[in-house]
Amino acid sequence: MFKYMKTLNYPVNIKKKDLKMAKYLHTQFGGSNSELAAALRYFSQKFSMPDEKGKSLLNDIATEELGHVEMIATMIKQLTEGASVEEMKSAGLGDMYSEHGMGVYPSNASGVPFTTGYFAVTGDPIADISEDMAAEQKARAVYENLIELATDEDVIGPLLFLRQREIIHFNRFKELYKYYKKKGY
Amino acid sequence: MLFENNDYDFDILNLAGFNFNRPQHSYYEYEKQNNGLVSTEEGFLKGNMWKNEYAPYKNMPPVRLKPTCEREALLFKIMEIDFAVNDLNLYLDLHPEDMEMYECFKKYTEECIELKDQYARMYGPLTLDETQGNTYDWMKNPWPWDKTGGSMYV
Repeated sequence: MFKYMKTLNYPVNIKKKDLKMAKYLHTQFGGSNSELAAALRYFSQKFSMPDEKGKSLLNDIATEELGHVEMIATMIKQLTEGASVEEMKSAGLGDMYSEHGMGVYPSNASGVPFTTGYFAVTGDPIADISEDMAAEQKARAVYENLIELATDEDVIGPLLFLRQREIIHFNRFKELYKYYKKKGY
Repeated sequence: MLFENNDYDFDILNLAGFNFNRPQHSYYEYEKQNNGLVSTEEGFLKGNMWKNEYAPYKNMPPVRLKPTCEREALLFKIMEIDFAVNDLNLYLDLHPEDMEMYECFKKYTEECIELKDQYARMYGPLTLDETQGNTYDWMKNPWPWDKTGGSMYV
């Protein structure tokens, strides 16, 4: 059971409209290395973890990732606040506007809808946790690309926070991986 | 450059004039110990409670948070302590036998509950089970993705 807390994981308070940045940020909302992919990946994989360490860690990281999905969607929402159709068009968001208006839809930066094909569930803890480690590194790299693309401190702050979370999650998954290897899985 | 100042003061959330009551029982005692943790202020801004696991990108320092009113300052403090609970939670999932860290976890959890209760009494509920006031105000704005006049919580 999930219970909602009416805060973000880390404050997002973007005052300056930036439609191009909003477009780029979609990659972490509904792209292949996105927070949504991470949340659903760990949420689904938790059901085949063999012991209490794996079950709890995947459950708890999945929960945190859902909070990160909310942060990214909030950033997109705030970056597009008050934009005109003309501005959307000239920022390359005309295609997205035609289908989603000013709504926030989980797609990648090019507008390709999210798919669960972006992750795997094998039922094998070693295979699944290996994928989780790679996923955290890929998301870290994407955050670094996004930080390079960003110009506003209000955008860079949350991105630095989220990037560090990828590093922590990688470290935890790596610990779990080593522990399961030692146990002979 | 955005980040010319590398001398970072992490004690930024207890700004003069923002005098909400932070429970005193936990953090001085725990953060002084040499247990591998940074302070909750530092941890929240860096995205990581562990001294030896922080790996900044191109040495960029975290961005300073600037609460604009007492309500926002209290909210940030709740988010900060809740973050510490979360980071210790992931560690304890793999190291449940670490009693020292479990004691920290319990103190932060307790502190978070107290601060959330204080917030609910002053400004409204952050969780559904805190919705106990005279009117049903769970659905009232702001929601976390809202912003009004440049600040979400004003």
